[in-house]
Amino acid sequence: MKSSSSKKKLIGYFGFPRRDILRDVRDRVGFDVPLVDLDVDHGAPDSGVLPVTTCRIITNIIDNAMNFRGRLAVVVAAVGEGKCDRGRHVSFLLGNMGFEVVESRFPPEEFENRELVFSTGHAPLADKIERIMETVVDPSPQRNMPGPCEPTHGFWGVPPHDFRVLELFPPTTHVYGWTRCVEAGRPGDMELECRVGEGVPTVFFTQSFCAKQDIARYLAEKYGGLAIDCHREINDSILAKVEAFIRLS
Amino acid sequence: MLLADCGSTWAKILDTATGSLEIIQTRELILRDTVFDVATGHSGRSRCREFKNELIALAEGGLSLVDDADFALVDVGGRDIKFVRFNGRKVEKLDWNLACGSTTGATVELLGKYYGIDFTTLKQADEWVNVTCGVFGMERVLEQVSLGNPPGRSVAMFIHGMVRNVYNFVGRPERLYLSGGFCENPCFVDTFRRYSQVEPLGRTVPLEGLKVISASDGKTV
Ligand code: SF4
Repeated sequence: MKSSSSKKKLIGYFGFPRRDILRDVRDRVGFDVPLVDLDVDHGAPDSGVLPVTTCRIITNIIDNAMNFRGRLAVVVAAVGEGKCDRGRHVSFLLGNMGFEVVESRFPPEEFENRELVFSTGHAPLADKIERIMETVVDPSPQRNMPGPCEPTHGFWGVPPHDFRVLELFPPTTHVYGWTRCVEAGRPGDMELECRVGEGVPTVFFTQSFCAKQDIARYLAEKYGGLAIDCHREINDSILAKVEAFIRLS
Repeated sequence: MLLADCGSTWAKILDTATGSLEIIQTRELILRDTVFDVATGHSGRSRCREFKNELIALAEGGLSLVDDADFALVDVGGRDIKFVRFNGRKVEKLDWNLACGSTTGATVELLGKYYGIDFTTLKQADEWVNVTCGVFGMERVLEQVSLGNPPGRSVAMFIHGMVRNVYNFVGRPERLYLSGGFCENPCFVDTFRRYSQVEPLGRTVPLEGLKVISASDGKTV
């Protein structure tokens, strides 16, 4: 039986951990304990733990963990190729700071091949990305699934720290890159991560200080797309670049 | 209709009814309470009925002034650099540099005023100083002057450093169209011609773009 205080507890996770590990942890801690994606900005104050040149997503993980300290029963950490070196580093830091951490590596043998409903669907881009990330915890079909559409534009990358940039894209934007890999159930599949629609004007988004900038720049050159990176909040110059690219391409 | 391109140091205002063009210092805008019909440029946002994206205004202006199918266009302003490259008259690449190298344009003006330099007669310099940003660049100029270099030559070296930055930023094209106030700075244009075939388009490219955009929005311009 779970104590009433378990209601206040949380299970944190980041990246795309294996679903069986998430399930085991939930089984142990309690299925009624809410899950919280630590990658996402939950308004936590700046903990100042990490250097300023750390990507904003990793900083969110630490800031959220510090903010939820005392409530986080466990952190399920994606530390394999499906995340990045910094995922492994932050897992190490959290472990050393006294958090219980369960590490997850997603081996290629366990890659799935799920249908790309949201990545290729007709719906606001922010909704599609949000719903793709929800499939990490529960991949079962949801209500109000969007119908497919031909892409007029593409968005490549990870879910941004600041979703405002997504509002500029039309609903006919296809999702590529790591986010598409998440929907397919194949985090760390480099081949899929680098596959974009030929001739589809695509914005290659990365957080500043993320190693994926190397790939984003290369792909943007190769496919005539626009590479942008952003550290914290999206600024006017980035918004203007994306708006101009969408209108003029 | 009153169209305006309000940059950080200069504002260009076009009355489409009369065709008159006015170029004033942006700080003078504060003394006026004019509300433009359509404006672009970061100082124009709060002074207009309709605001248009700077890069779109520049790109549309370039397309209306240049007939080439493939071309590169750069606008060097007081605090930023905007760049658009077209392939088959479709945007192939665009960029807007606000962070690195910012305010170098305004710094040239400041240095010019400080040392009383006439840019129409200033000779280009073979050497350059590294112009990471306006502040670093200014420090290099002061250093050159203290080493005994004449101020004009030191500023020309700053301009040369700035040209190299812009040239690298736009991907080192063989030929490019130049927009903005530096079209009227022969030292800048001549220095740039060491690297690339430069075609100055003048200071009103974004205004041309606003005309195109307004017309496509159904307005009478
Ligand atoms: S944005 Fe890049 S560096 Fe940051 S967590 Fe994601 S993959 Fe790692």
